[in-house]
Amino acid sequence: MTTLTQGRPAAGQASGPRRRAALRLLERADPVPVLLALAAVLPTVALLVLAAVMLTEAYPAIVFNGWSFLTGRTFTMGNLYGTATQVRHGFAAPAGARYGVLPFLVGTLLSSLLALAVALPVGVGAAVLLAERLPARVQAPLGVVLELLAGIPSVIFGLWGVYTFGPLLSRTVDPWVAAAGLPWLSGPVGSGQGLLTASLVLAVMVVPIIASITRELVRSVPALTKQGALALGLTGSESVRVVTMPFIRNGILAAGVLGLARALGETIAVLIISGNALNTYPHSIFAPFATMASTIAAILDGALTDSTGMALHSLAEVGLVLLGITLVTNLGGRLLAQRFAATGLPVGRGV
Amino acid sequence: MKPYVLPAVLIAAATALSACSSAATSTTGSSSPAAPATTAAAAAASTTTANPASPVALKEDGSSLLYPFLQDVVAPLHQQFSNITLQPAPGGSGKGISDAISGNVTFGGSDAYLSAGQLAQNQGLMNIPVVVSGQAVNYNLPGVKGLKLTGDILAKIYLGKITKWNDPAIAALNSGLSLPASTIVPIRRVDSSGDTFLFTGLLSATNSQWGGANGPQFGTTVTWPAVSGELTANGNPGMVQTCKATPGCIAYVGVSAEADAQTAGLGEALLQNKDGNFLLPTQATLAAAASAVASSVPSNLAVSLIYQPGANTYPIANFEYIIVKSHQADAATAQAVRTFLDWVMSPTGGSQASLLAKEVFVALPPSVVTKAQAAVAQITG
Amino acid sequence: MSGRRLRDWAFWGLCGLAMLGSAAPAVSVLVSVVHQAAPVLDWSLLTRRSNAGGIENAVLGTLWLLLGVLVLAGSIGIGAGVYLAELATGRVARVLRFGSEVLAGMPSIVIGYIGYVTMVVGLHWGYSYLAGVIALSVLVLPYIVKTTEVALRQVPSALREGAVGLGMAHRQVIWRILLPPAAPAVVSGVVVALAISTGELAPLLFTVGFTDSNPSLAPLHQQVPYLTSVTFTDLSLPGARAHATAAAAGAASLAILVLLILLGRALSRRSRLATAQMTL
Repeated sequence: MTTLTQGRPAAGQASGPRRRAALRLLERADPVPVLLALAAVLPTVALLVLAAVMLTEAYPAIVFNGWSFLTGRTFTMGNLYGTATQVRHGFAAPAGARYGVLPFLVGTLLSSLLALAVALPVGVGAAVLLAERLPARVQAPLGVVLELLAGIPSVIFGLWGVYTFGPLLSRTVDPWVAAAGLPWLSGPVGSGQGLLTASLVLAVMVVPIIASITRELVRSVPALTKQGALALGLTGSESVRVVTMPFIRNGILAAGVLGLARALGETIAVLIISGNALNTYPHSIFAPFATMASTIAAILDGALTDSTGMALHSLAEVGLVLLGITLVTNLGGRLLAQRFAATGLPVGRGV
Repeated sequence: MKPYVLPAVLIAAATALSACSSAATSTTGSSSPAAPATTAAAAAASTTTANPASPVALKEDGSSLLYPFLQDVVAPLHQQFSNITLQPAPGGSGKGISDAISGNVTFGGSDAYLSAGQLAQNQGLMNIPVVVSGQAVNYNLPGVKGLKLTGDILAKIYLGKITKWNDPAIAALNSGLSLPASTIVPIRRVDSSGDTFLFTGLLSATNSQWGGANGPQFGTTVTWPAVSGELTANGNPGMVQTCKATPGCIAYVGVSAEADAQTAGLGEALLQNKDGNFLLPTQATLAAAASAVASSVPSNLAVSLIYQPGANTYPIANFEYIIVKSHQADAATAQAVRTFLDWVMSPTGGSQASLLAKEVFVALPPSVVTKAQAAVAQITG
Repeated sequence: MSGRRLRDWAFWGLCGLAMLGSAAPAVSVLVSVVHQAAPVLDWSLLTRRSNAGGIENAVLGTLWLLLGVLVLAGSIGIGAGVYLAELATGRVARVLRFGSEVLAGMPSIVIGYIGYVTMVVGLHWGYSYLAGVIALSVLVLPYIVKTTEVALRQVPSALREGAVGLGMAHRQVIWRILLPPAAPAVVSGVVVALAISTGELAPLLFTVGFTDSNPSLAPLHQQVPYLTSVTFTDLSLPGARAHATAAAAGAASLAILVLLILLGRALSRRSRLATAQMTL
């Protein structure tokens, strides 16, 4: 086993008895560690398989589209019922087809960043209150509520967003925002389907991630330090600012990045609420838009009817771009997380 | 070619037998009607229709417009052919087609016929019409009843060229109505949809820009021109819901959801047909559309019912298709598929009035049934 | 002084608003779903199938899928977590941990698409139980790996050293010494994974299909019904009753969710008590 041979020489310098104990576990011949190692390899294998399949599926589109995929503002499958095709670099697509990802890319980043901008202060504020101020008997039920929020299916968030929350926004908040007449924050309000509603629903989905991680972080701050701050006469809020925040700042940043990753990949809720505008940038915060993930779900069915297969390959390329962004986001979150704790953070949406 | 009489006789026999067996004790219930029918079938040829000797599950995936209808026919089908179980699923037309090709399902359901490319690429893949459906155009203008529209005007609305309800082009058609000066809010489907295919089909047939070299195309997923203030909706109910909430809207809605649109208080537009008459979608005007093409249905059965000639022909109608491969895994499956298809388009089977009425579908004209049956007879195991 | 007090109040007031902003949507979602489902909410929903306006087959299918995820993702995830926390060292550990964390960010629609291409079409499994369970497991695996690893790392090293020093086999060390105190966190990780599986739609749309029958036990070629599909489909079917059924299916998935959360809490409380006894 490679772990064994690589690990042994390092054991002498390695600090901590844990590593030595771990090595001794390995030294006995036993199938258990082999099975465990196999299990540990599987997520990475799955990742590589997923990436490889995605790359294979997207390859014809990458060749066909070239750079115009990243700069194109139009995604159209062309005339699927005609027989005319266009051929580029040996790959054919229906006549009139053009595949550009830019509006979806902009929509994805814009909605996710807006969601994060709302969810970060809300999640952190709620977590600080929960961990520092509220008595234990209130904490438990509120914890359940947050846990529930983390688990609500995105199709139900979609339902809620399109029938309850969206119309509520368009009747109450939206006209008030639009009346201020700020650039990009005005214009026709519509029925509540669009960027603002989708971003806020995404924020609701991201809050439990940020809140749960922050709550654990706040609890990890040594009680003695906090008590010292209070003993010096600092108020609760000053203690949070002077003692707690510096202690957990990187952790919160990492939590934010993980929340962002969740928002970037969300599919069904955005599909139902975004208004799915193809080929336009959101010209105001109320305008319909589309993300990469929601577009894949929305037009995959239609793409399956393209007999050249290029529509499907191009959707795979959209998925590949989404995958790349997720990878970079996770890398960023991981680098941040490394700076603050050796054990790392709980991943994703759990509370 | 099989005469239409033979399956009808078999169906009648099977019905009688299954009626007997259901009255008799349950122990013999499932196998007794099968025996005489299969003997008769074996004597004739391998392309007959009858209850297969062993149980066959027919898996279907596809059009969500066809799905409620197929759900309703599961029980009567099983009652008549005890060894056939239909399992429909609502994955969408495109998925139904690709699932039929890949063999994930026995057959797919589609609102749209197969494209020339798909037919050329998949030898032996067939689209078989089973019922006639159609589409209404609804609007939300309180107090305005009986609005008349043309395909060209609809195209200009969805192109953003006509933006007000009192536009001269609309006013000229509706001299008796008082049209408001409000903005028209076009609503379109988000999901890839047979309804979008039909609607944009009419726009392409009536407007020079739509379907042109640089214009938007027709299809289940269309790249719509950006129109200021436009809205999108998911599924036919979403169209109705959004239109109900948006005064000044216009929406295309499949006829099976028309009852919802009426309940929501939406107006139903009279559309101009090729002969210049303004009509509503009814069973009579949809049947007229099917009859209009009946004599010109090609042998591959891929045909559009959009904007067909005839005084009483509604301009947006379509065949609902079953997409199936002519070569099935085994003889029993092939027999079950043939039996189902024959039964579902028969006025005494799946196309009986009580089953069609709920979805506002119309039975195929007899001459189309004959052509479809010729195709069905090619399905072998 | 009063300025500082005022600022303090303002700070906690804002935190209170944030708490309200976090909790209110959950309450609103619950209320609106139950309100929309009200016309059809009735025990007979659980005995009718989806072609008769019920959710019997979808509830059974969802539970059947959850069982598969529990077995597959649970065993692999906990195993991988144990390995990463206790056995892996150096670069290999870093790479595996990184792989698992990146997998956590994999968009569910991408997993569904790839599941369709590789298993449903590529391996000719058709829409099937196994394809769905694998797609869901890939989605939730990283959560279980991470929570298991973090939980084990929080077990005091003294326990580990002591056990190894006493000459216990590592199978025993892991089962008897390390897992019991870590169990609450491990269990909560698995519960979160099941909760996510309950609510997912995108990876299942293209892997398990749907059927009006009750789920069969066959792992391949048989479609499986599930709750989120009923919600998604019935929403776009005509008729107020279909919409109410959509909401009812949503309410049922929320009910499963609440049960899972309560189960997770109860289990973790029990094992916390057990741990307390053990270490004393």
